[in-house]
Amino acid sequence: MSGRALRVGAPLSHSYRHIALRKLSRRSTISNAVFQQWVSRDARHNSTSAYQGMGGSPGSPNGGGGVDPVEVSHFNALASSWWDAQGPSRLLHLMNPMRIDFAKHCLSMGIPGEGTRAAGEGEGTGKEGKGLSRGLTVLDVGCGGGIFSESIARLPNTSKVIGLDPSEQVLGVARAHAKKDPTLAGKLQYVNSSIDEYTPDQQFDLITLFEVVEHVPYPAAFLQTCMRHVRPGGWIVLSTIARTWSSWMTTKLIAEDLLRIVPQGTHDWQKYINEPEMRSFFEKQPGWGSQGMLSMGCLYVPGLGWRAIKGSEDYGNYFFGVRRDL
Amino acid sequence: MQRSLLHLPIKRSAWAIRTSNVARIAAVRSFASEASPNPEIYDIVVVGGGPVGLTLAASLGAARATSHLKIALIEGMNLASIRDWNPTPDYFANRIVSLIPSTVKLLKETGVWKHIKQERVQSYDGMQVWDGMTDARVEFDWNKLLGGREEGIDTTIAHMVENIHLSHGLLQRLEELAVKPTMIDKTKVEKIEYGQMTEDVDMRDWPIVTLSNGQKLGARLLIGADGGNSPVRTFAGIESRGWDYDRHSMVATFKIEDDSAFPKFAYQRFLPSGPVAILPLPGNFANLAWSTTPEKVAHLKSLAPEDFVAMVNAAFRLSYTDIDYLHNLKSGVVEETKWRESVTKYPDPPTIPVRITEVLEGTRASFPLKMKHADRYIGERIALVGDAAHTIHPMAGQGLNAGVGDVYSLVKSIADGISHGQDIGSSFTLEPYQSERYLPNNALLGFVDKLHTLYGFESGPLVPLRSMGVEIINRDWFGLKRFLMSQAAKS
Repeated sequence: MSGRALRVGAPLSHSYRHIALRKLSRRSTISNAVFQQWVSRDARHNSTSAYQGMGGSPGSPNGGGGVDPVEVSHFNALASSWWDAQGPSRLLHLMNPMRIDFAKHCLSMGIPGEGTRAAGEGEGTGKEGKGLSRGLTVLDVGCGGGIFSESIARLPNTSKVIGLDPSEQVLGVARAHAKKDPTLAGKLQYVNSSIDEYTPDQQFDLITLFEVVEHVPYPAAFLQTCMRHVRPGGWIVLSTIARTWSSWMTTKLIAEDLLRIVPQGTHDWQKYINEPEMRSFFEKQPGWGSQGMLSMGCLYVPGLGWRAIKGSEDYGNYFFGVRRDL
Repeated sequence: MQRSLLHLPIKRSAWAIRTSNVARIAAVRSFASEASPNPEIYDIVVVGGGPVGLTLAASLGAARATSHLKIALIEGMNLASIRDWNPTPDYFANRIVSLIPSTVKLLKETGVWKHIKQERVQSYDGMQVWDGMTDARVEFDWNKLLGGREEGIDTTIAHMVENIHLSHGLLQRLEELAVKPTMIDKTKVEKIEYGQMTEDVDMRDWPIVTLSNGQKLGARLLIGADGGNSPVRTFAGIESRGWDYDRHSMVATFKIEDDSAFPKFAYQRFLPSGPVAILPLPGNFANLAWSTTPEKVAHLKSLAPEDFVAMVNAAFRLSYTDIDYLHNLKSGVVEETKWRESVTKYPDPPTIPVRITEVLEGTRASFPLKMKHADRYIGERIALVGDAAHTIHPMAGQGLNAGVGDVYSLVKSIADGISHGQDIGSSFTLEPYQSERYLPNNALLGFVDKLHTLYGFESGPLVPLRSMGVEIINRDWFGLKRFLMSQAAKS
């Protein structure tokens, strides 16, 4: 259903572009205000790790993003039902085509080329990507049972996907499920590690963090660690939930407590990061975002599935993509 | 009437039952370490090489997103006779289909329609439908409704094509494809079971199809286009509910009187035993579809050719009482109808069809009518299309059109799954197909079924009511007629 809602094609790329442009123009005018607001919140809630992390404070004692053992045990408990079409992860499965569409859209704005590129080539021309004949390399951080890892690995332009997750139990499910599709064997690998301890031998064209940052103790340090592994011209694409009254209502009260379509304890509302906070974080990172930074809000409509809705990034689930400058 | 309220057990063919048992037992046993040759892996295995199965293979091959898939199609019959079909202008087969414009549009898009010999296709843009008891009549005629043919408006209601002609065109299209599906004909599905787990792969949810020639095919997605008694559906454990109508449909091809002075119409008269229809073919040919009781069908088949011809002419002219009486005659129908028609008032063509003059030898055949709807169209690595998913009363000529609608929707879902990196066998890929097709098909099945019931009454309060309804439609009050006609064209 949701796949149908949003296709990367000419008409929709306009709407993405529109969002991106709207956001880019808004950035210059209000980002300062957002930043101020965010700093003051940070001061008030300095015990709340989300703000602390995004504020660029030291992060975990070892300087990384950290792994929350409570989160790991929560997802361990979900492991066996990860691929159950009618199970607790159903909403994630339904969201997956939208993740693919958003990632494809980001990549269509440009990806690392074969050779080095002149700096003045402009942003988002969509031309840079044509040179990638070696195939896309992807690091899916917090891959869980492998819903996104498998699907991005199946795309014909993808050459290699590493799925990274700190839970060995969840990765066991991912590995077992990947064996059901013989075409994945050469392309998809799972690595049991946190991003802090992960030492790949190369950088990636795309790093994805789907529904991850809201589960991490120190998101800023976590994101900075991820950023090191992105090849110049490559992308970080993530999805998460904004910390608003409406997201508390939908993800905690309705989804977890009342309807119970999402297992209780899946979300910690305090850890949610708002889109302007995310944007302002990346704006401060040198060498990031000048050639592409965009977001897209989406909403789950019972009976219809996931729908991309303009402006909803301020209220609930949103996708965020940011490109490392070439 | 009560029949439709009961869910009678559906009689499955012995073959289907055997398959299901074998499949279930095999599914349990497949964990054992018996030595078996490795199955050849396919993206899609289609069981059934009828018009729907062939349309599916052709559509998958023609769509850019799916054209690279490795596909096998299995058919029990010999496809060579269809491939080598070489028609003569003085003969038309008895099994014909009515293709509505949306079906033809899809066949054009998939490159099939160019292989259809237009001189053997008869389109019509008018229908005469009337009640055998009250003579209440609906004329569906776009030309009359629009006050003459308008430029640029396709007023075709449907195109009549012989089944074998359509299948022949589909096979020709399949020959042209860059990646041709593996066509396995004259071969039966011996059993379907789940695969095994090895060191490298886990095929325990992959259907493995064993053929009568010993070949084994592993299917990422197994599609049943294998008819009302679908072995694929049985394997998937999907129930199909419905009932037998206790009616058979009698078909035959005729030569008719010269009708060149009239527009080509389809004619259908609702008799309490079931509708009788004459459908146009090119030149002075026409096709019969007469739904009635198995006993009456047996009688019609036993009649001498000239008595059979007289009987069919009478079915569009005489009262139901007369027709019922004629069914008791073993011979002498010609004389009897001559006399009865001479004392009966009936309209002239083109309000009724011109007289048929001759039945083509060997074209009298019949098949039982059923209404069946599968509980689901999909399972993990399973999809059902066409009659495997739904069997409909043929009076509205919608069976194959619904099957082609299924194909179009399923191919769309598969293409969407591919572009999003989904496993095409996963239920997440297939769910949109089911949610798009189930309710429209259910409504169509229900509508046709209600018509069958409604026109089954010889007398009673519903008889004048149904005539009143028909009058309202015929006068195009509330734009009902236009609505019905445009719906029939879209479906």
